[in-house]
Amino acid sequence: MLHAKIIDTSKEKIDILNAEKFLSSSNFGAIIYFLGTVRDLNENKKVTGITYDSRDTMVIKSFEEIYKESETKLKIKDKAVFIEHVKGYVAVKEKSIIIGAACKHRDEAYNLSRFIIEEVKKKSPIWKKEHYTNEESEWLKGVSIQL
Amino acid sequence: MKVTVELHGATKDLSKNNFLEFEIKKNSSIRDIKIKILEFIEKNFQGNQNLRKLVQSSAFCSEEDEIISESYKINKNQVIGIIPPIGGG
Repeated sequence: MLHAKIIDTSKEKIDILNAEKFLSSSNFGAIIYFLGTVRDLNENKKVTGITYDSRDTMVIKSFEEIYKESETKLKIKDKAVFIEHVKGYVAVKEKSIIIGAACKHRDEAYNLSRFIIEEVKKKSPIWKKEHYTNEESEWLKGVSIQL
Repeated sequence: MKVTVELHGATKDLSKNNFLEFEIKKNSSIRDIKIKILEFIEKNFQGNQNLRKLVQSSAFCSEEDEIISESYKINKNQVIGIIPPIGGG
């Protein structure tokens, strides 16, 4: 059971209540939430916000693949996963990603949550442009996409 | 023949349109398209080294969102995407 979505911040807000609603319907006992937020300092530069760019259809595809891979790599068959990532401008301290992982047992839920965020970093075509207090902005260096 | 390259991330600095278009010969490869983009950078950005490195380290994808290799051949008018190094989360 997977929910995967890109949230365009110019149209709607990313909201953990949606994750809670989705995962509570799964009846699994162990639920882990990972929230990624925009931090105010990066490499000694004061950050005001980040603009996220994404290739939406490919990102959703990558979320689906990560979900499937968790079954073969982590051997977690029974699970519910909620993944939402923003696109557009996000101010400091606001959320950029919500990952919710629900499983039968806590070990599985912790492992699954960690697995998903690490794979998103390697496989989901998303880019960040950081904005600074001096009004400059800069695309952040990333890593080559992995298949 | 024409290929349209959809730009993402830092490669959006190459054009305000968020895409580049090139006239190409039939059966041109992704490697050939990369050369076209590097020539575009040479002409329009005085060979900016950061942009050159960015393109050289980028992958490409098809309209169907599959990553395509450098030897992938283009034999019709086609839209592809450039995928510079990623960093979500």
